[in-house]
Amino acid sequence: MTPRPNAPLVPTAWATIGPFFPQTFFRDGDNDLTRLAPDAPQTAQGRPFWLTGRVLQEGGGPCVNAVLEAWQADAAGRFRHPRDPAWQQADPGFLGWGRAWTDAEGCFAFRSILPGGYQDASGPRAPHINLAIIGSGIMGRLATCVFLPDFAEANAADPVLSSLPAPLRPLLVARADGQGPDGAPRFSLDLLLRGDAAEETPFFED
Amino acid sequence: MNQPDRFDPLDPATQPVVPVPGYPNTIRRNPSRAAFRRVLTRTELTGPLDLAEKLRPGDDNLAVLAPGRMAQGQLIHVGGRVLDEDGRPVAGAIVELWQANAGGRYFHPIDQRDAPLDPDFIGNGRTRSDDSGRYGFFTIKPGAYPVPDSGRWWRPPHIHISVLGPGSLMRLVTQMYFPGDPLNAIDRILNAVPDAAARARCIAGFLPPEAVEGDWQGFTHDLVLRGRHATPPL
Ligand SMILES: [Fe+3]
Repeated sequence: MTPRPNAPLVPTAWATIGPFFPQTFFRDGDNDLTRLAPDAPQTAQGRPFWLTGRVLQEGGGPCVNAVLEAWQADAAGRFRHPRDPAWQQADPGFLGWGRAWTDAEGCFAFRSILPGGYQDASGPRAPHINLAIIGSGIMGRLATCVFLPDFAEANAADPVLSSLPAPLRPLLVARADGQGPDGAPRFSLDLLLRGDAAEETPFFED
Repeated sequence: MNQPDRFDPLDPATQPVVPVPGYPNTIRRNPSRAAFRRVLTRTELTGPLDLAEKLRPGDDNLAVLAPGRMAQGQLIHVGGRVLDEDGRPVAGAIVELWQANAGGRYFHPIDQRDAPLDPDFIGNGRTRSDDSGRYGFFTIKPGAYPVPDSGRWWRPPHIHISVLGPGSLMRLVTQMYFPGDPLNAIDRILNAVPDAAARARCIAGFLPPEAVEGDWQGFTHDLVLRGRHATPPL
C-alpha cells in the first residue's frame, strides 16, 4: 500500500472558494501509476520509483489541497494513445496516469516506473513526467514537466528542457532523495507556483 | 503524424483574467511569469484514453446518500453532452462533480463556515459519458455562500465540474451556474471571463417541467472541452 498525504487540512477562510476537490474523490493508490486501478496488482513493467515534493505558493508557504495529475511514457518510452506511432506496443499493464493531492504541508507523492525516453520529430525526449496542477485560485491548470537527475546527457539534449533559459532548467530536474517506503529510489522536486524569477517553477502553455 | 500538432489557440477573451479581487489565491498561486511555449511532442498530445478503471464511475446520484437518506434541498437533475472542438460527442469521458449543500456549505474540513451541514449530503459524484457523449447527475440545488474577507462577495449557487476526456488535451475544470440567479451578474469569478458569450456557456439551461420525466427540476449543460466554443475553465 502506498502512503497518501492525508493529514487534516488547515482551515483557511480564503480557500473556501474555487476548485475544492472533495477528499472523498481520492482513494489510496490513485497516485500509483504502476497499477491499472488502485486495488489492482502492480502490472507495469520497469523499475519502480517515487516522485515526491511540495507545492508552494507565493511566500513559500504550502499550497494546501492542490491536485496533481501525472502522465508519462512506459519504460520503453511509449504511450498507449494513437498519437504515438508505437502505441500498440505500449505496455498494456501500465496506465501512465495518476492523481495525487497535497496535504497541510503541501506535500505530494507519486509512485511509478522510470519512463523511457523516445525520439521525436523535434529531437530526443529525455525521460520525464508531465505534471498538471489544479487548485483553488488556479483557473484552468498549470502544466509542467519533471526530469530526472540520472539522465544528465539526455536532459541536455531534450528539446523542451533546453528551450528554457539556462538558469531555469535545474528547476525542472528532480533531486535524488534516498528511497521510498518500498526501497525504490525516490526523487524530489518542489514546485513554487509564484516567487522570485530565479525560483519560480517554469510552466508551459497547455 | 498527420494530425495537427496544435489545436487552435484559445481566444483570451474566453479565459478568466486573474487576479480576481477578493480572491487572494488567484495571486498567490498564479505564476508571475508567462507560460513558456514548447514544441509539442507525443507526450503532450497523448494522455490516458479511458480512466474508468482508475476513477470508477457509477456515483451519479448525490441526492440519495443511502436508501431512505435523502439530502435536503430542491431535487434537480443536471445533464448534457461532453463535446469536442468540432461539436462531436466525447464518449467515455469521466465527469466529476462537487458542490455545497442546500445551505451553501461544503462537506469539507476546510469549510468551517457557520452554516448547517446536512448529514445526508456529501456533495460529490462521478460518472462517465455514454456513447453519445451524454452525462447526468441527480443532486440538489446548492445554496449560495459568502466569501470570507472579500467585501461582501457572495458566490451564486454553482456546481464544480471536472471532465477527463481521452488524452491530456481533453481536460476541463469549470463551474456551472443556474439561470436567472441575481448573484450571477455580480460573481467575480464568472465576471473574470471577459467575453459575454463565453460567460453564458457557464450557465445551465432550464428545462420546462413538461420536458422532465420525474419530480425534479431539470437543467441542461453541455461541456465543450476545446475550441472556439470551449466552456471556460473556472
Ligand atoms: Fe464553490
